[in-house]
Amino acid sequence: MNFEIESPLNKEELLKTLSNLQSKKFRFGAGFTDLLIEFKKFNPVETTVINLAQLKDEEFCSIRNDSGEIQIGSLVKLAQICKDTYIKDNFPVLHQAANALASGQIREVATVGGNICQASPSGDLSCALVSLKANCEILNIDGKIRNQAISEFFKGPGKTSLQKNEILKSISIPINHSKNLKSGYIKIGKRSAMECSIVSLAYHFQLEKNGKVKHAGIAIGAVGPTIIFCQETVDFLLKQNINNIDEVLKLKIASMIQNASSPIDDARASAWYRHQVLYNVAKSLFE
Amino acid sequence: MDDKLIKISFSLNGKSLTKNVSPSLFLIDFIRDELKLKGTKPGCREGECGACTVLVNGVAINSCLFLAINIHGKELITIEGLSSIEKPLHPIQEKMLEHGAVQCGFCSTGIVLTTKAFDDECRSDGKIPSRQEVKKSLEGHLCRCTGYTKIVDAAEDYLTHSSF
Amino acid sequence: MDKKLKIIGKSTSKLDGNDRVSGRSVYGHDIELPNMLYAKILRSKYTCAKIKYIDCSKALALEGVEYILTAKNLDVNMIGYKRDHPILKGETVNCQRDEIAAVAATSREIAAKAVSLIKVEYEEIKGIYDPFEALKTEARKINLNGQGEEKFGNKNIAESFEYSHGELKSMKKLSKVIVSRRYQFPRVTHCCMGTSNITADYSIIDGKLTLYSSTQVPFLYQRDMAHALKMEPSKIRIIQPIIGGGFGSKLDMLPFEPICALLSIKTGKPVQLLYSREEEFIASPTRQAMVIDLTSGVDEKGKFTFREVQITMDNGAYTSWGATTPFVMMQAYSSLYQIAACKFQADAVYTNNPNAGSFRGYGNPQATFSIERNIDLMAEELGLGKDEIRLLNANFPGEITGQGLLFKTCGAKPALLKVIEESNYKMKNREKQSGRYRRGVGLASMLHVGGGAKIYRSDGCGTRLKLDHYGFLTIITGSSEIGQGSETVLAMIACEELGIPLTHIKVINSDTDVKPWDVGVHASRTSFVAGNSLLGAISIIKQKLNSKAAQLMGCKNSDFVYENGFIKACEKEVKIDKVVREMHFGNPNKLCVAEYFFEPTSSFQDKDFKGDVSGNYAFASQVAEVEVDTYTGKVNVINMYVSQDVGRVLNPMGLQGQIEGGLATGLGYALTEEMIYEDGYLTNPSFHEYKLLTAMDMPEVHFYPIETMDEAGPYGSKGAGEAPLIPTAAAIANAVSNALGVEFLSVPLTPEKVLKALSEKNNHKTANSQIL
Ligand SMILES: Cc1cc2nc3c(=O)[nH]c(=O)nc-3n(C[C@H](O)[C@H](O)[C@H](O)COP(=O)(O)OP(=O)(O)OC[C@H]3O[C@@H](n4cnc5c(N)ncnc54)[C@H](O)[C@@H]3O)c2cc1C
Ligand code: FES
Ligand code: FES
Repeated sequence: MNFEIESPLNKEELLKTLSNLQSKKFRFGAGFTDLLIEFKKFNPVETTVINLAQLKDEEFCSIRNDSGEIQIGSLVKLAQICKDTYIKDNFPVLHQAANALASGQIREVATVGGNICQASPSGDLSCALVSLKANCEILNIDGKIRNQAISEFFKGPGKTSLQKNEILKSISIPINHSKNLKSGYIKIGKRSAMECSIVSLAYHFQLEKNGKVKHAGIAIGAVGPTIIFCQETVDFLLKQNINNIDEVLKLKIASMIQNASSPIDDARASAWYRHQVLYNVAKSLFE
Repeated sequence: MDDKLIKISFSLNGKSLTKNVSPSLFLIDFIRDELKLKGTKPGCREGECGACTVLVNGVAINSCLFLAINIHGKELITIEGLSSIEKPLHPIQEKMLEHGAVQCGFCSTGIVLTTKAFDDECRSDGKIPSRQEVKKSLEGHLCRCTGYTKIVDAAEDYLTHSSF
Repeated sequence: MDKKLKIIGKSTSKLDGNDRVSGRSVYGHDIELPNMLYAKILRSKYTCAKIKYIDCSKALALEGVEYILTAKNLDVNMIGYKRDHPILKGETVNCQRDEIAAVAATSREIAAKAVSLIKVEYEEIKGIYDPFEALKTEARKINLNGQGEEKFGNKNIAESFEYSHGELKSMKKLSKVIVSRRYQFPRVTHCCMGTSNITADYSIIDGKLTLYSSTQVPFLYQRDMAHALKMEPSKIRIIQPIIGGGFGSKLDMLPFEPICALLSIKTGKPVQLLYSREEEFIASPTRQAMVIDLTSGVDEKGKFTFREVQITMDNGAYTSWGATTPFVMMQAYSSLYQIAACKFQADAVYTNNPNAGSFRGYGNPQATFSIERNIDLMAEELGLGKDEIRLLNANFPGEITGQGLLFKTCGAKPALLKVIEESNYKMKNREKQSGRYRRGVGLASMLHVGGGAKIYRSDGCGTRLKLDHYGFLTIITGSSEIGQGSETVLAMIACEELGIPLTHIKVINSDTDVKPWDVGVHASRTSFVAGNSLLGAISIIKQKLNSKAAQLMGCKNSDFVYENGFIKACEKEVKIDKVVREMHFGNPNKLCVAEYFFEPTSSFQDKDFKGDVSGNYAFASQVAEVEVDTYTGKVNVINMYVSQDVGRVLNPMGLQGQIEGGLATGLGYALTEEMIYEDGYLTNPSFHEYKLLTAMDMPEVHFYPIETMDEAGPYGSKGAGEAPLIPTAAAIANAVSNALGVEFLSVPLTPEKVLKALSEKNNHKTANSQIL
């Protein structure tokens, strides 16, 4: 394996490197946990890697919490997400998804941006972020920011809306303070760790005191070409009180979530299994 | 093979070092082939087994999915770094032996380092991990010989009984 | 043998554990020799094809490439248990693994590059991947060197076994319940954490070949290598570096080994060949995939009447030792529980899949799975407790089975009773389950050879002892250490008998130029055979020491006690090193050495496979307690209750490690592990897709050793290494069936398979209720 490397140390260098390489073949590398595996499979030819691992920049590298939203730099490592107590308390779904991803060693290097830009339908962090309706903040070589909802950012397996002159800088999630949360991440695999999701379900509900659903987000992973935001289910739930969801409603919601999926057969599981399990775990949300 | 070499400076097991490396060189190969430290093991080279675990700035990472150039400016500790003339074995290693957690040993050095990093983390958080947390801390290691129980016993013993 | 033991029976840390845990141990991967080259093999692109031409010119032109080996101009013999396997393939390829060319180059990168530059043109042929297809008369002959037609009446049969005892017909008549099932088992593989490797160093000066090889049978390997390369065996020296796991994978010599040797011979330089993990999946041995048709019966009182079994094994394209697994399987069918009549037939059938090999358990996990599943079904139909039916038929001490195995000691019943009681099996088995998470318990037992198995002309092991005049003992043993802890047990035995501290004992076991003959590590034999051999040598060296010590202390015919570095007799004592010094430097000068060769009393079985094949037999029972998530189909094993007749516990910690390690492999076999092939291509050759269990998946293990003190084994011990994984899959399948009321006819019990079975059962129910 052979490639050239550019290691910008700050944002200016990054943008310069990026514009210099516009007519060449290049790839970003952040934590490299996906990229190096890909390179082993498909030997890179005449490729320059823009090495983001040495970049020092607040906006890229930190978790900030101000002005009604939480901003997570694309180079934030998954381990940082796991350790962040604010996230743990206010966005359990994100905490759990990060914690369920790969292993401790991988989480120490793998980044939020890498997980998003990999655009894998089974990306764990991405799934949680879709349920949270995160916004992608995309920087271009002119230093301009483009904002895009994360579910729009994904265009297919391994495909994003990112242009050649752009890089994912950070994501932001609106904060709606509520102590009354129902939020979590369900990941289905064959073993209890080091799994690539066969099905995943991310949910984040904010409830009024009486149990009425105030905000809701549900995303499902590994059951379609991209991670899917279950809009119909969410719209339905917004009219409900969580305390009134009975057996009939529960099954109805599970069916709605199931209907949003379009799984396929692959080496890890059949479409039948994915469909079935999705229904079952969706049911478990209200048990 | 013909790519430009890049100069990196880092600390290796406590000693500063400067080297020229190829941009596409993996840390595991740098450690084993150039630094000649063979205690870092290649089990899979795909991030799945943990045999290649080393510490970079105190945290455990897989050296098989890490570029050597990215240890520039950092502290690298390999298993050899845990031994000194005065104290040839780290207490974690002693616990592993005491509990019978070592069979073929191919997975052992990585496990020792992960446990060291986890211990440092627990200490700085001032917490004593539960058995479940100990297991979780070892999720990135595969062992075909022991069935893990003894490894978890050893790590738990060390993590919960070492003096704070 | 009731004297008080000082170290035997006490937990003792692994002898060279320090080196392993601190990264000092030199594994095959770590060897670097001066001027060493790196080898890489080009494997076939197709699983079945004719090779039209091989063009190495571009690769040869690459700077740094020193030699490229192909089948052309190669004067070698075929390898493999049936000598049906060419080292390099020149005319046809028969599986994905097939070696076409091998490069030796100055770096790994150059070798890899060169391999990618070799051009091969193939003419693809439709392969045969299903053994039942291969058995059809119209099928093509798969391995052209096979002798199936002449020997077994079918060109695609590689090996065949037939066995029977008792009156099958009348026992069938006597049966109240008869259960017939077809079970299917996929290939799984060892997944040694250290991949296969070899370093070959040929001297062009004296024609000697040194191989740093992780074989577990060094002397058979030396002979096989010599045969393959047409060399004199004694010119080949095998040095066994530290091994990153064995588990039976290193019983056969594979093509990569003579290939590497040849590259060294051709270049006159040391050559190293390391498998990548992917290559390890594609081209190292596997457990046999097989289909087992088992019919078994039980009479109205619950006594087993007969077993009739037909096994079709997927041999792959070439034949390995693995083809002889029926040898072990037939023991399970003929003798696990009391069986009045048994008819057994097994064929290993050539296919265009990769060749299977040997794997810890050696066919027994598959056999036991079928036996134990059928027992549960019979018990259910008969309305008898699943524990009761097993106890009723359990093997007993003194039993001579239909096959002629003699159970001088037998812990079968105590083991069953122990796990039944400790797990609260009776109660838990009856609990009706409902809701999302359902619990179940499953019981299974096994029988395995415990004192070696005579499969070669000698099943023996030699030992040499050297006691030096500083009181340090060197044990030179024929046996090999592959991580299983046999070195430690040997040192413990010497420590016990000679009173020499462990720190003063060295074990030399890794060099065929030095060590005496031994057949190798397999069949759970090492502690047994090497231990007995060592005890023999110790008694000889003791005689020498005794007479010198007697002379020094001036007392005769006394009981000599060896303790803490002293020899004590008639209320006097003398330091052992002093005795040795007196031997070495006194008059007459004598060395303090001894040697002994131990050959177990086990016999070769006759051509009907009858006879007492092993020095003793190991018995074990397990209860698995599982919790199944009916939403996802995931099986969570909560508890494993394991009881095993080990004869005598020599090193509790070492034994526990073998038990837990074996169990984990059994759990993986039961739940997640499976090599998935499409037309002979492995689709999941990585840890990412081939799921080994992690620390998070492990159950609580409750282990209860049963000590039956078998006098054949050292201090009464029996072999224990393979037993723990043999009944595990069966116990788990029985437990999941108990939890859900569904049946399983194959492993692994993946979440998908479990959910499917459940949903079929529910559909069935609704269908039935609709009819009603
Ligand atoms: C053993 C193993 C287990 C794994 N398990 C899981 C798992 O359980 N769940 C899961 O979701 N994933 C898993 N992964 C995949 C991977 O670790 C994650 O997707 C991770 O978050 C990727 O981050 P990274 O920084 O390493 O990405 P990189 O490999 O650096 O990059 C991934 C892709 O994103 C691009 N990219 C990276 N950063 C940016 C940016 N800022 N702007 C634009 N493009 C960018 C890269 O060019 C590349 O195409 C696993 C991987 C391994 C090796
Ligand atoms: S070798 Fe790096 S994780 Fe296996
Ligand atoms: S001790 Fe062999 S792999 Fe862990």
